[in-house]
Formats: sequence, structure tokens, C-alpha cells
Amino acid sequence: MVELGFQQADLLPLAPEIAILGSALLILLIDSFSRGKHGKAAVAIAAASVAAAFAASLALYGTTAEAFGGTFVVDGFSLFFNVAILLVTALVVVSSLDYLEEFYPEGADELTEYVVLLLFATAGMMLMASSRSLVTAFIALELAALPSYALVAFAKRNRASIEGGMKYFVLGALSSAFLLYGISLVYGATGAFDFVAIADAIAAGDVEPGVLSLGSLLVLFGLAFKVAAVPFHVWAPDAYTGAPTTIAAFVSSASKIAGFVLLFRLFTTAFPAEVDWVYAAIVLSVVTMTYGNFAAAVQDSVKRMLAYSSIAHAGYALIAVAVFSAEATGDSAFALGAGMSHLLVYGLMNTGAFLVVALVDDYYGAGYTFEDYAGLGRKMPAVGLAMAVFMLSLAGLPTGGGFVSKLVLFAGAVNSGFWWLALLGGVNSALSLYYYTRVLKWMWVEEAPEDQVELDRKPLALYASILFAAVATVALLFAFAPVIETATAAAEALLE
Amino acid sequence: MTLEPGLLENVAVLIPLLPFAAFAVILAGSTYGDRFDLPATAFAIASVTASLLLSLVLLAELYTHPEIPTPFTAAEATWTAGGAAPELTFGLMVDPLSAVMAVIVTLVATLVLVFSLYYMNGEDESGLPRYYASMTLFTGSMLAFVFSDNLLMAFFFFELIGLCSYILIGFWYQTPSAASAAKKAFLVTRFGDYFFLVGVAFAFAAFGTLSFHGDTSLFTAAEAAIDAGDTVLGVDASTAVTLVALLVLGGVIGKSAQFPLHTWLPDAMEGPTPVSALIHAATMVAAGVYLVARTFELYALSPTAMLVVAYVGGFTALFAATMALVMDDIKQVLAYSTISQYGYMMLALGAGGYTAAVFHLANHAFFKALLFLGAGSVIIALHHKQDMWEMGGLRSRMPVTYWTFLAGALALAGIAPFSGFWSKDEALLAALTNAANEPLLLAPLALGVLAVPVTAFYTMRMHALTFHGEARSEAAEEAEEGGWPVYLPLGVLGALAVVSGFANAAPLGVKELSGFLGASDLYGYAATHLGYADAFTVNYALLVVALALAFAGAIAGYLLYRDADEPLKRRFDPVTEALERRYYLDGAQTRFAEDGVLEGSRWVNRFDVDVVDGLVDAVSTTALQSGDALRRVQTGVVRDYAAVIAFSVVVLALLVGLLGGWI
Repeated sequence: MVELGFQQADLLPLAPEIAILGSALLILLIDSFSRGKHGKAAVAIAAASVAAAFAASLALYGTTAEAFGGTFVVDGFSLFFNVAILLVTALVVVSSLDYLEEFYPEGADELTEYVVLLLFATAGMMLMASSRSLVTAFIALELAALPSYALVAFAKRNRASIEGGMKYFVLGALSSAFLLYGISLVYGATGAFDFVAIADAIAAGDVEPGVLSLGSLLVLFGLAFKVAAVPFHVWAPDAYTGAPTTIAAFVSSASKIAGFVLLFRLFTTAFPAEVDWVYAAIVLSVVTMTYGNFAAAVQDSVKRMLAYSSIAHAGYALIAVAVFSAEATGDSAFALGAGMSHLLVYGLMNTGAFLVVALVDDYYGAGYTFEDYAGLGRKMPAVGLAMAVFMLSLAGLPTGGGFVSKLVLFAGAVNSGFWWLALLGGVNSALSLYYYTRVLKWMWVEEAPEDQVELDRKPLALYASILFAAVATVALLFAFAPVIETATAAAEALLE
Repeated sequence: MTLEPGLLENVAVLIPLLPFAAFAVILAGSTYGDRFDLPATAFAIASVTASLLLSLVLLAELYTHPEIPTPFTAAEATWTAGGAAPELTFGLMVDPLSAVMAVIVTLVATLVLVFSLYYMNGEDESGLPRYYASMTLFTGSMLAFVFSDNLLMAFFFFELIGLCSYILIGFWYQTPSAASAAKKAFLVTRFGDYFFLVGVAFAFAAFGTLSFHGDTSLFTAAEAAIDAGDTVLGVDASTAVTLVALLVLGGVIGKSAQFPLHTWLPDAMEGPTPVSALIHAATMVAAGVYLVARTFELYALSPTAMLVVAYVGGFTALFAATMALVMDDIKQVLAYSTISQYGYMMLALGAGGYTAAVFHLANHAFFKALLFLGAGSVIIALHHKQDMWEMGGLRSRMPVTYWTFLAGALALAGIAPFSGFWSKDEALLAALTNAANEPLLLAPLALGVLAVPVTAFYTMRMHALTFHGEARSEAAEEAEEGGWPVYLPLGVLGALAVVSGFANAAPLGVKELSGFLGASDLYGYAATHLGYADAFTVNYALLVVALALAFAGAIAGYLLYRDADEPLKRRFDPVTEALERRYYLDGAQTRFAEDGVLEGSRWVNRFDVDVVDGLVDAVSTTALQSGDALRRVQTGVVRDYAAVIAFSVVVLALLVGLLGGWI
């Protein structure tokens, strides 16, 4: 029997999550009991709490602890992803300061709500990283999802935003239904919610294989929705394009990372490869990266191109579990670690790229098509350079960590015997160069038109976020070794 | 003079470093635009001159102190090492060969840069900082290539050399023909470099090392593998060595403009003439042959590869020489003569004549730079006219150019005692000597001998047309020679064309270069592995025949064209036609590109448009059109999305269920 109730000792390992949740509640309280609006204060509190959670995650590194009867576990794996998620949240929170004021003046009054939703979603994502029970995982997932729906629709007077949020919500509900149904089937087959207990039950035999397999597949599909893997991605292009761009950055980076954490932990701990989900993972990986790249190549809108590019990246990250097999633990750990590292790097460069769009498209109002970016590189060299770093790094060229992370990802696939999957990933990366460099061509090679908008205002917070993301992306090219080592160690611990 | 220990290493490191440093400075300064013209010129000339002095010091040290152990590593940096990573290093390797080559490169580069004062600065060209930046980068890359101590590093700088040639051939990039020539040079040599790159990877995979020297060098590893009868990568070791050698040869054929990848070089004449001089004499084209000399010990392990080298060389020597016969553009004649002369070097290498190849490389560097600069002097005097039929009678108007050009022409024609005579004779001697051991060398030898009179003929034709007879254009009547930036390089190179052959005048008993290069060890090596001769003895019959042929060709060329005022070649049609059309090879390559590749590309494009794009459009267009099923995916209608998800769940579950066997 699982012992209910909790002790104080359970709370300490969850300090990062508590910091985020606590500050969200604090902001709500301030907002309720004071007369004026305190948007900037809310941002400050949020930034502080993110910093605190970040510090706590780093401080906790090395400890492994269970909480609440084993339904939550804090280990290297969850802390690694805490760091990745918090980095994205920090960038989004800080840049929102300029963004909302300028682009949604009416939304600026509601900055507090915006920040609170952001913090709740972040807490949900972090809890997803720590969940080790299907029930807590589901709750954490919903905690992350519900605020995200609201955030996508945050620009209330913008039709695209509302439409995107609506679609995200309806389809999210549908996939939650699949997920829940899958959970119930898994519970029916194994009698357990706890990941380790599920694995034990399967190992002990006496499990109806069809029920279990179908259950695990439905769970996989529910999570595939979260990470926007083809064909469960249908909501993503509309939602990302309609959402305020900072939120598009948040959902396409942090939310995707969180989906992957749960997917990684659940499928590598609970279900052995014999349960056949690996076939589905391979199909999803291949279809996702190919579809994402092809669709990205024909977009006219930079933002929509980035939406498809983030779909393609889900395909790359899926390689990490597609090559999973129970026998070869060492190689699987490396592949998984590579997938984790890729997500960390991806979070930075993808968020950075979306923030550049937020600056150009929304803040300056230069326009959303590739043509509208003409000559901007020379007018804003710092942003132009940052965009070059993001684009080339996303494509997998050595201007940033994206090069090495993709390299180890493919190397992991090759080591696990899936050379053809790595080859396919390589071909896809080469394809992706086309649409990534298109942005740079317009920014740097083409001349700016006479009637281009004035770029006289300098949004400090947005600039700072973009530059921070760029510097961190470049730095990861050189400081990648500790990242992949940490990730692989965490993956090994998880797979033991 | 004796240098402190350790100082020699520093000297060697500085030789390639100084041009690179100058490149960086000029690049940074070029933001000042035209105001930086003079500093750019000064930095370029100063850095390359300094490299020249250092190279001379290095050469003198090695020459006067044979006790210095060579090869030694002047500097080394590790790129990857440790753990599962393969160990890759960058290192500068100093030995007599690299020391000699460094002097050649820096000397020619210095003189070319001095000449540029006249050709570029004097003509008020724009973009001078770009010019000097590229020239220093070119020189630095070549020097780094020369000192490379492993195949991978050699490949890197080989590529950088290719890039620089692209930039410089296309220096006047607004001229469509120059831009197109630059592209052609880049693409054709790149085609060869693919093979080189595969060869590098193959060599590393097969033998685990790419180093050029030491106990763990590629050569010793390959030799050991052959001796042990190992099987590497599924083939036996000697086949693997042959494959590596032939793959690397792909890059060599591209860079050294050997048949069939020679077509880029005549087009490359679109670049400024000093660039041509540098490319032909000391950098780009020389890099290919130098690479074979550098990896001679690898080639000598494979009889097949050696024969391929000899055949390519022998054939190219004659083939290119015949095309030079009919060219009207003075630079085109020189271009084909370059191809032909590098053919001789390849022939020498394939026939085991290591010294002959390096010796000819050196002599050719001097006399070809001389000829190009002489041609450049004429071209400027005639206001950028290059057609020899618009020249003539320049002898009295341009005496310095005339006399030095004559020295270069006689060296090229192979007339004793000018430099080309000695080294060409050695190349033929190598082929003749080893033909006794390897009869298959007879064919390349015959081609090489046949090319001798042809070479002499077109050389003297060029000389006679340019300088003798009556002036055939107004510009030629008023031609005037430049100042010291012309006289100095022409004088130095002219003197070298006369004397440099005596560095290894074997018939006179002088074997300085051979001894310095330690060639006898390599001959022994070739004797062990190929059964080639371990020493070459002078064959006076060959000497006399070659000299007689050269004289005959030279005299015929001179007499026929001395007073010619209209092209003679019309007399011998279809042959001339074939030669003028460059054996239809350029056309064939263009046709291959147009009919073959382009048609194939069109086909692929149709596939791309119809199939790939169709698919892409289908999956990416939103609700704009309805049509096939795929297009309906992104309709923007939320219930369609839900249907897609539900449908996918069913399909995937069925698929996995069937695969897993639980349905």
C-alpha cells in the first residue's frame, strides 16, 4: 500500500517547483488586494522566482530523492530538464516586458495575469519532469496545458490568437482523452500507476500484452500531441502563428521540452522495448522530421516557418527514444543523453529565433514574410548576428551548440545500430538549411526597401533576451562536453 | 651562420604565419576603402618579403648543416585526441623538400607582388585591398600546405588554395567571363577534391594515421600492412594503398590541371596577369604535383598508381602542348604550356624521378613566372591587348622585357643551358631508365619526347609573334616599358632562368639538389617496392636527341613566324580546327554539363516539382485549395484536425499491433 500523507522532508527536493508556484500565488494576492496594476513588479517577482528555482535546481544537483510516496522523484534527469525549462521561461518572462507593452497595449494591463499563467505552466512542466506516476504525470501535464491554452489566446482582440488558442484547447482535450484512456488501459493491464511498479509488473509476466501495448501506444500519442509530433501536430502551426510571439516561443520550446521529459522517463522506465511502442516511435520520428522540414521550406511567413521547424526538431529529438532498446543499455543511455542535450540547446536557439520574430514582426511591425526582413541585418547588426547564430545552429552548422547536439544525437543513433535513421536526420538537416538560410539571405544580402519602418526604439529587455540566447547558444558550442556528460550520466541513472 | 637550437623552428613557423597576419591586417583595414590601398600594398609586400628572407635562412641552415635531423616538426597542435576520438593533429614539417618549396613560393610571390605595383596599382585598379588580402592569403595557404605534416591538414590548405584562386580569378567579378571562369575553376577543381577527401577518409579508416613522417606515418603503416599481408576495410592492403593513391590523385589532377580536369586553367586567364603568374608558378597548380612528391613514399608502394601518374603526365604533356600551337592569345599559350609542363613533372614522378620532378617544379616556377610577368608587361604596354596578332616588333621598344622573356622562352623550349633543359632531360631520363624495368613506361616516355619539339615550336612562335617582325597594331607601335617594378622581377627571374638549371646539372656532374633532397633514399625505396632503378646515370644519346628535337622545333617556330603577318594555321584545316576547339573537350564538358547533367537535373527537377513539391504543397498549404487527401490536412478547421488525430491513432495502433503480433 502506498502510504498517504507527507512529511516535511518531501518538500525540500521540490523547492524549485515550490518557488515558482509560491511566487505565482504571491503575484495573484498582490493583484487581488491592491488598487493599481503592478505588471512590472509581477515580472520582477517572476524573474526572481525563476532565478531562485534555477539556483535551487543547480544546488540540488547530485541528490536523488523521492517525495509523496514515490509519485515524484527528483534526480539528475528531472533537474537537467528543470534547467532547460527555466532558461526558456526566463527568456520569455524578461522579453514580455517590452513585448506586451508595445504589441498588446490593452494586454499590458493584464501583465500580471500573463505572468501568473506563465509561472503556473512552468511549474506544471517542471512537475512533469519529476513525475513518476501516471496520475501525477497527468495532473502535471494538465497544469502545464491549461495556462498554455489561455496564453495562446491571450491577445483577446486578435482573431488569429483566439482561433489558435481555441484549436489548441479542443485538440488538447482530445489528446488528453487518448492519454487518459491509455493510462486506464495500462493500469488495467498492470495494476500500477508508478512507473517502476509498471515495469516490475511487466517483468513479472502475467500481463495481457495487447491491452498493455495499446495502452502504452495511446499514452505515447497523447504525449506526441504535447511535443507536436506529426501527425499529432495539426494544432501547432495555427497555435504558434496565432499566439503572441513570446508565447509561441514558450510553447514551442518549454512545452515541447516538458513533453519530451515525460516521454523519455515514462517510456524508458516503465515500458520495456518489447511492448512495441518503439515501432511507433520510429514512425513518428521519421514522419515528423521529414514533414516538418518539407512544410517549413514552403512557408512565406518566418513565424510559420519557425513553427514547422520546431516540429521538425521534435522529430530529431524522437530519435533518442526511437533507438531505445532494453538490451544495449550503454548506447541507449548515450542516445538518450544526446536527446536531452539537444532539447536544452534547442530550447535556447528556438526561443531566441522566436524572440527575433517578436522584435521584428510584432514590436517594430516590419511584417511577417521573409521579404519584410530585407536588410535588417545591417540595420540591427547585433540582432542580425544573433539570428544568424540561431538559424545556422538550428540547421546544425557549427555556429552554436545545435551542431554538436545534433552530431551526438546522430552518433547515438549510429551507435545503437540505427544508422539509417541518422542518415535520414542528416539529409533532413541539409534540407533545412534551405529555409533557415533564406532568412539570413533576406536579412543580410538583400537591400532594405525605401519605405521600411523606422527602427528607432530600442526595447532593452527584448534585446537582452535575444543576445543572451545567442551568447548561450554559441557558448554551448564550446562548453558542450559538460552538458552531454551530465545528460548521459542522468540517462544512465534513469536506465539502471 | 648557425642558429640557436629552437630558433629554426620559430623561423619555420613564421614563414606561413606572416602572410596570414598580413591578410588579417589588410582585411581589417579594407574597411577604409581606397585610402587603404597603399598600406595594403606595403603590408603584403613586406610580409611576403620577410617570409622569403626567413625561407632563405631556413634553406641555408638545412643546406649548410646536413647534421640537422630532418624531417622535424616545427610546431604541433592537437585538434582532437583522447578517449574514443581519433587523434588528429596539425603540424609544420620541415625537411629539404618543404624548405626548397618555401623558397620557390615566397620568391615568386614577392616578385609577383612587386610586379603588381605596376600591373595593378599603376593602372589605378579599384579594390586593391581585396587584391592584396587575397594574394597574401593565397601565399600563406600555400606555405601552410607546403609545411603540412599530414594528409588532412594538407587537404584543408589545399581547399583554402582553391578558394583563393576562385577569389582571384574572379577579381574582376563584374566581367561575366571572369566570374564564370572563377566558378569553373572552383567547380572543376572541387570535382577532383571530392576524390581527395574520400581518399583522406579512406586512408585514415584503413591505416589509422595520416602523418607524413615519423614512426607512425601513413607510409610506414601502409608498408607494414602490405608486408604483413593484412586485409583492411575488406580489401587487401596493397589494393587499399592503390585506392588511396588514386583517390588523392583526383585532387592532384584537378589542381595541377592534368587531363581530363585541365579545362579550368585556360579560362582562369581571366584573372589579372600577376595572379596567373602566381597560380601557375608557385601556388595552385604547383600544389598538386607537390602533393604527389610529398606522398611519394605512398605512391611508390603501388605500381598501378605510379603508372597512372606517369600516363596522365605523359599524355597531358603532349596533349596540352599541341593545343598551345594554335592559340592567338599570349596568355592562352602560356596556360597550355603550364598544363604541359606539369605533365612532365607527373611523368617524372610516375617514373620514379623524384629529383627530376622537384627540379622541374622549381625551374618551371621561375621561368613560367618570368614569362607571365613578361606577358603582363607587354599586355599593359599594349593597353590590355592579349592577341599576339596585334603585337609584333616590340623587341626594340621593350628591350628588358624582350631579353628576359627570351631567357624564359629558351628555358621553356628546353634549349641548353637554360634551366628547363636540364630538368626536362632528367624527367625523360627517369622514364627511359625505368622503362627497362617497367616496359609500360615506354608509352609515356614516347609522349614526353614527342612533346619536346612541339613545346619548342609554340614557345618560339609566341616569342617571334610578340617581339619580332613589324608592329601589327597602333598600340604595338607606341608600346612603352614600365619602370623598376617591372625590371626588378624580370631581371631576377631572367637570371634564374639562366642559372637555376645548374643546381642539378647531372650531365655536368652537378647533383646538388638531388643530394640535398636525399633523393637516393627514395630511389632505394622505389627500387625495393617497384623494382625501379636505384640510381640514374646520364644517357647522352637521350640528351642529344632531346636537344636536337628542341632546336628543330625552336628554329622552325622562329623562322615560320618571324615575319608572319597573318595566321599560318589556316593552311592545315581539320587538325587546326580540332586544336582550336581544344580537342572538343571543353565543348564536350559543356555538353556533358548541359545535355547530361542539366538534362538529368531537369529530370530531377520535374520529380522535384511534380512529386516533392506536390507533396510539400500538399502538406503545407492551408485551406487555400482542396484537392488531394494530403492537402486536406492543414485545413484550419478544428474538426478536421481532430479527425486527422483520431485517424492517425487508429492507423498507427493497427500498424504496431500487426508488427507486434497482438492483433
